[in-house]
Amino acid sequence: MSHQLIIKGSLRRARFTLNLDLNVDLTKPLGIIGATGAGKTTLLRVIAGLEPDFSGQVEFCGEIWHDGDHPDQVPTHQRGLGVVFQDGRLLPGRTVERNLAFAQRRARNADAAVSYEALTEALDLNHLLSEPAEVLSGGERQRVALARALLVGPRLLLLDEPLAANDADHRQQLIAYLAEWLPAAGIPLVYVSHAAHELAQLTRQLIVLDRGAVSAQGETHLLLAAQREAINNAAQAVTAVVMSTDSEHNTATLQLDHDAVGAVVSGERVLLQRDPEDSGLGAALQVQPEENQH
Amino acid sequence: MSGDLQAVWLTALLAATTTLLLVPLASLVAWWLARSTSSSRSIIEAVVAMPLVLPPTVLGFYLLIMLNPESAVGSLWVELTGESLTFSFSGLVIASIIYSLPFMVQPLQAAFRAVPESVLEAAATLGASPRDRWLNVVLPVAKRGYLTGCVLTFAHTVGEFGVVLMMGGNIPGETRVLSIAIYEHVETLNYDAAHVLALGLLGFSFLCLWLVYRYAGHRFEVIRG
Repeated sequence: MSHQLIIKGSLRRARFTLNLDLNVDLTKPLGIIGATGAGKTTLLRVIAGLEPDFSGQVEFCGEIWHDGDHPDQVPTHQRGLGVVFQDGRLLPGRTVERNLAFAQRRARNADAAVSYEALTEALDLNHLLSEPAEVLSGGERQRVALARALLVGPRLLLLDEPLAANDADHRQQLIAYLAEWLPAAGIPLVYVSHAAHELAQLTRQLIVLDRGAVSAQGETHLLLAAQREAINNAAQAVTAVVMSTDSEHNTATLQLDHDAVGAVVSGERVLLQRDPEDSGLGAALQVQPEENQH
Repeated sequence: MSGDLQAVWLTALLAATTTLLLVPLASLVAWWLARSTSSSRSIIEAVVAMPLVLPPTVLGFYLLIMLNPESAVGSLWVELTGESLTFSFSGLVIASIIYSLPFMVQPLQAAFRAVPESVLEAAATLGASPRDRWLNVVLPVAKRGYLTGCVLTFAHTVGEFGVVLMMGGNIPGETRVLSIAIYEHVETLNYDAAHVLALGLLGFSFLCLWLVYRYAGHRFEVIRG
């Protein structure tokens, strides 16, 4: 069955203008990558119907969700979505259990929804069920939000950096669960992340966003490989002088040649920040540690 | 029924009617104030808060001007109902609604602000319709705000004097509420009767404020009057 997602139109934002002409078949899970401020979250919000000012059209599976004249043609609550926002957004004044119950009661199809027990087990939530939403850590919030999004039995899953606040162990565990569960459930997925290894494991096609526009689109593994190559080339082309080091935080500040404005190197990752005005390799290059790149 | 008992009954009826009518009206105003980014929001906020700082006699005076049978609103009311808004229970209810508006709006506004737009968006993505979001996301968080607003509005209406005197005068069974009855007892040097009513109001006011601080204390800080 085809899961065609068509988005055509634009939305003005303070830092960029989202300008899209997308037509993708979500039978293959879609990843979205791009520098901070490239418009990834805004794109998900457009799909979710949370940007009424978007002037254009959003269509999913042949159903027009939004067009310029009728922005709320199919309102958010009728789109059958499962959404995880970066910050979790749990319902205040409720325990984890009641947050999950809120989603369960609104499940589109109780039979199709994932088993509650299996989900709370897989997402390591059983010990948190009686905790109020307000006391949870960022990672715990994200896991509850993910469970909530899966419990509604969505026909389209939109995940925005859903694992970013979790520790490495939980991240691996969740990626493994999603990588196994999503293809079996057959739910179309749009997955936003900075982490190449998450995108490599969970998506089959990728869109690279740059300042609100699609700068590249293709198979995930091909685009990630091309990106790694570009980063390697850039690393070779850029020579750096260590300006200062901080042994306590395992960081060093480097002065780079060309138009790069700075870099911070830590045990976790290397971030090369280039001058935004420079039209060379892009606004920012983010490199994961070697052991995490598969 | 004795004159004082009649005043107690009339006061309770006025306070209950005002509170009940203000719940939906103030909910709409408070929701708009809590959510709007319009530049006119601060103007509306100031208008709503006016009774907190305005001398009640001033408010009563203007209401008398605006609602008397010779005015546009007052004459329309006479045409529709056959009775005058001034020196009547209906007029007192309208005056009380305006006078107590900030006591209901402000706690509700604070309560509604405690539900961020982002949470309502998340609820929408989970399939909650606007009505569902209001009933099951906003209302549970705002219930303390409603408790505070209702108790304060009721208590404030019970204690009204200046506005009532200007709009309603002192008509037994129609506009002679508790505060007017106390004033009348003092004027006629009937201090014993004044003591009974005043002490009753003192105890009632304390009970109301204790309820608010005990059960909804952290929602009360928004009242500046």
